[in-house]
Amino acid sequence: MTAPAMAAPAKATSLIEPDARTRRRNASERRFRLLGLSAVGVGLLALVILLTSVLGNGLSAFRQTWITIPVTLDAAVLDKQGNRNPDEMKKVTTLGYGKLVQQALLDALVEKGISTGDLTPKEVMALLSKEAPADLRDAVLADPSLVGQTIAFPAFATSRIDGYFKGRVTRESAERDANISPAQLDLADRMAEAGLIETRFNMGFLTRPDASELRPEAAGLGVAILGSAYMMIVVLVLSLPIGVAASIYLEELAPKNRWTDLIEINIANLAAVPSIVYGILALALFINILGLPQSAPLVGGLVLTLMTLPTIIIATRASLKAVPPSIRDAALGVGASKMQAIFHHVLPLAMPGILTGTILGLARALGESAPLLLIGMVAFVRDFPGAPPQGFLDPAAALPVQVYSWTQRADPAFVERASGAIIVLLAFLMAMNALAIILRRRFERRW
Amino acid sequence: MNDMRLTERVVTETAKMTARGVQVHYGTNHALKDVDVDILDKTVTAFIGPSGCGKSTFLRCLNRMNDTVASARVTGRIEMDGQDIYDPRVDPVQLRAKVGMVFQKPNPFPKSIYDNVAYGPKIHGLSRNKAELDEIVETSLKKAALWNEVKDRLTAPGTGLSGGQQQRLCIARAVATSPEVLLMDEPCSALDPIATAQVEELIDELRAQFSVVIVTHSMQQAARVSQRTAFFHLGHLVEYGETGHIFTNPSDPRTEAYITGRIG
Ligand SMILES: Nc1ncnc2c1ncn2[C@@H]1O[C@H](COP(=O)(O)OP(=O)(O)OP(=O)(O)O)[C@@H](O)[C@H]1O
Ligand SMILES: [Mg+2]
Repeated sequence: MTAPAMAAPAKATSLIEPDARTRRRNASERRFRLLGLSAVGVGLLALVILLTSVLGNGLSAFRQTWITIPVTLDAAVLDKQGNRNPDEMKKVTTLGYGKLVQQALLDALVEKGISTGDLTPKEVMALLSKEAPADLRDAVLADPSLVGQTIAFPAFATSRIDGYFKGRVTRESAERDANISPAQLDLADRMAEAGLIETRFNMGFLTRPDASELRPEAAGLGVAILGSAYMMIVVLVLSLPIGVAASIYLEELAPKNRWTDLIEINIANLAAVPSIVYGILALALFINILGLPQSAPLVGGLVLTLMTLPTIIIATRASLKAVPPSIRDAALGVGASKMQAIFHHVLPLAMPGILTGTILGLARALGESAPLLLIGMVAFVRDFPGAPPQGFLDPAAALPVQVYSWTQRADPAFVERASGAIIVLLAFLMAMNALAIILRRRFERRW
Repeated sequence: MNDMRLTERVVTETAKMTARGVQVHYGTNHALKDVDVDILDKTVTAFIGPSGCGKSTFLRCLNRMNDTVASARVTGRIEMDGQDIYDPRVDPVQLRAKVGMVFQKPNPFPKSIYDNVAYGPKIHGLSRNKAELDEIVETSLKKAALWNEVKDRLTAPGTGLSGGQQQRLCIARAVATSPEVLLMDEPCSALDPIATAQVEELIDELRAQFSVVIVTHSMQQAARVSQRTAFFHLGHLVEYGETGHIFTNPSDPRTEAYITGRIG
């Protein structure tokens, strides 16, 4: 401290009165705070709008309208040999079951005293989903002892009737609709009053396979969920070990020279490559050159692995870098080898970061559709893929691609189902994020 | 109590480690210039000198910890029991098992106190069973004057200890592998006078079994615990000799200036 500075006359300032400088500083701080707050507000608003729109459109996909009628499973029609052998009973096609269901429906209406007005039996039958006879056939083939009994059979209502009870279809729209008439809606109203029609939670939306263009009510996410799950298994099993091994090599073992710099830059660039490019690569490499089947979860998983690897490597390297070097010194100082130092001390400390990065990478892969379109995952698949390992090569669908293909279809009922599929996808993503948080906590508690 | 040792000093003359013409460059920074030192067996050697003069750098040459610094380049010859430790056939891992180190900044593993001490013996296979390991942990913690403070919470995290306790934990960890040479970089800089006295006592005990090299900024400590002292200045080894000689009758004017507090 020099003498002249000490000698400068002290300005008389009060601690209670802020001076001009402090006031300006505080004002700019308040402005910045406000700016940040409004940015967060905009983000939250966007989230709320997204969620309300998706939930508003999609929640109804989890509910379905059923028409429950007693059906007498006539042995003379369904099992002519009378030995309940499913192989022989397979000869009866859905057409045969269709007649049975139609008769049962008409009988039920008569019994309840519901008049069908001017509607022809065919028009009455049109209230039921085209999937209903097939469902009945599946149920009988699965349990041949049902033949000869009278069972209460819940059949899907067709998507227009379902839409009517959910408010999507009105009498005005029915006037203009070739698939449904107001008279049919009146009949549906009377049936609902008689307790034949009800709307309730539909597990089938999560378990059934996709259905054709004309039967949206029967379409489900089963194959897509299974396909996505298989792909995630492939991605996890491949990308975690490969990514972590590559990161450990690059971060801890590789000499720092021009080559490793080049690799590092390329990995950073790969993370930014549009995902569809990976799809083209996979189409050329896995399908055209290696000859792997199209639409297979294995191939989808391989593409997504390629796509996820850079993300995992970057996250892993960042968390390895964040481990203080003094820990490595400490381990080496007591005579641990480099590998021991890494696996006993560095890796456990980096684990929360690695797991978070991996799960976020997986979540991104789960929501990815573009590369899957190119390897044929958009195909219409009704058969469930088998159990692993064969199942990895069977054709399957994927959740985001299912959303995409449902939005492409004409029937408005598919829009509702696409939104429902988005909700399922979001639920999976949230579950994965929650898992990331839990794992993070669990590993961090070990100091 | 420590002053008595000045008189009863017995200095063995066999060299455990010898350094000849050691130079260290960190990139373009010439940190250590032509250092010749003999670390005598069963002797405490003190390195003193102003901050940044290369004491830690030289210490890290002795167990090849400088290998981990990408920019560091070590030339010259360092031998341990007549073998060149920078020979390409030498495994630095084996060397570091024999030459233990306590770092300038306490760096316990983020594990339990017990695991911190047991880690070295475990990876070197020094114990055949849990009881033996417990024994090693207990004696090591006792040697580091930490046992009484932590014996009831061996499973508590080592990083939860105070700075001084952490440093003593690191000492216990280094002692647990029973090295032949123990390098200590300012082990007492975070300790109170009582713990310091305990560590100094430990150093004196350890001398019976192996060589100790200690870096210190405290002249009194160097005088109290060491039999040999090396004075570093700006990367040069200015003077090296018997501690009593260096402190009472230094031959270089820079040494005299430093120990009397005029440079540094
Ligand atoms: N890892 C490193 N990379 C680059 N330069 C280093 C490194 N470590 C030390 N140096 C440089 O080497 C010189 C000697 O440092 P060193 O740590 O050996 O000093 P010191 O004598 O131990 O000092 P102090 O008493 O403060 O611990 C310093 O100029 C320092 O800047
Ligand atoms: Mg130092």
